[in-house]
Amino acid sequence: MLDPRRTQRYRRHDLIDWFSQEQVSAARVAVIGAGAVGNEVVKNLALLGCGTIDVFDFDTVELHNLTRSILLRESDAGRNKAEAVVERALDIDPHVTLRAVPGDFWDTLSLGRLQEYDCAIAAVDNFEARLRLNQLCLIARVDMVNAGLDSRWAAVESFPFGASEATACYECTLPETAYARVAERYSCGGLRRRAGVERRIPTTAVTASVAGALATSAALRLGGEGRLHAQRRLVDTIGGAGSTIRIERRAGCPGCGAFGQPPLVVRIRNRWATPHDCAGAAGEAVGEQPLQLSDALIAGYECAACGPLAEAAQYVNRRATTFDDAIATCPRCAAPAVRVDIRDTFTVAELAARFGSGRVPAKFALAEINGGAVCFDLEEPQGS
Amino acid sequence: MTQSLKLYVRTADQTRRAELDLDSANTGADIIQAAVDNWALPADTDYTLVNTTTGRALAPGDDLAKGVRPGDVLEVQPVLVAG
Repeated sequence: MLDPRRTQRYRRHDLIDWFSQEQVSAARVAVIGAGAVGNEVVKNLALLGCGTIDVFDFDTVELHNLTRSILLRESDAGRNKAEAVVERALDIDPHVTLRAVPGDFWDTLSLGRLQEYDCAIAAVDNFEARLRLNQLCLIARVDMVNAGLDSRWAAVESFPFGASEATACYECTLPETAYARVAERYSCGGLRRRAGVERRIPTTAVTASVAGALATSAALRLGGEGRLHAQRRLVDTIGGAGSTIRIERRAGCPGCGAFGQPPLVVRIRNRWATPHDCAGAAGEAVGEQPLQLSDALIAGYECAACGPLAEAAQYVNRRATTFDDAIATCPRCAAPAVRVDIRDTFTVAELAARFGSGRVPAKFALAEINGGAVCFDLEEPQGS
Repeated sequence: MTQSLKLYVRTADQTRRAELDLDSANTGADIIQAAVDNWALPADTDYTLVNTTTGRALAPGDDLAKGVRPGDVLEVQPVLVAG
């Protein structure tokens, strides 16, 4: 039941026969990325009176963002984008619950927290973040909406993971060339390349507003849109032509193909010191079964010429993506001869030996147990 | 057993179109690569292939025998990555 002031605010919405203010006001949406599309989405969600809007972004505001970002001002330059966007959106409707979550969503959005949302919107600017959010939403069974644009086109894809176990995922139509672009950013199997050049794709406020509008409709399922099937909308923002196509699940898809059924999520909070805790949660079958971690770790660090290095302690058992390929140069002989062993697959016993009762630096671990997929959620609940 | 398929291939903005006889063993990725090469589409963009006749996307590695019939119109669509 809305309070009278809110009822007044949404009076015009009540005249729309297919629009349920009650549903919109109860909706909980995570917006990943507070760039051009993220601004539009947050603005739309706030105007519609969406119940909870959480905005995730690690980036800071730069002046060139201002041509496409409705909620940002010159005075925001240098601030975290999520914080600046949320502050301005609260002016639109102070009754909406809006929260900024600064930082990389991979570090700030746990599976448990994701499961509290009805939908997560990918308003990011790279394949890697989309692949990661797709994986999280697949496991958490939370709807995902992906928005993308360039200087002319706007595309919005919806993946109703929460409604159907058989829905296609973001990777079902992703071409090999996209994976090649992601791979270009890494060397040695997981270290970031220092010389990597980011593609800069020009966009405008026009394409951002169209993508933001379609993404908002898809996220809130306005008009009953996209309830059961994955679909893509592509709109030419100049000519107005557009198409809507259905996305089918692909056999052997690198994203959803790993799961015949959605994985059972088991929260073990990183207690590897006693593997029985883990096995007990999902049956006794984990044993020496390999677990695939969400994040590749540096498992070894040794120079081919100098042998074991004292510096290994700085790198071993940490996420590989934390470091760039400079660490492949030996600090002793200065030759690019360090063998950096990067792995994402370990047994429970190996994890217990490496981390004891300490935290494994990964979000989750996947295993196949008794013919079914199990996801061990390794993160502590947010706020604990 | 492969067969020859007479198809129409176009870009999303429909400025480029071709009527082609293609072997059903060709994959969506083959057609995209041919479109990029022959029509000089921007090479720094990624593309997917959509069958506009059926309203379904083609999986990148699938051959045309799956989900394409003679006379279908295939559209090369950009994969948009900016946000």
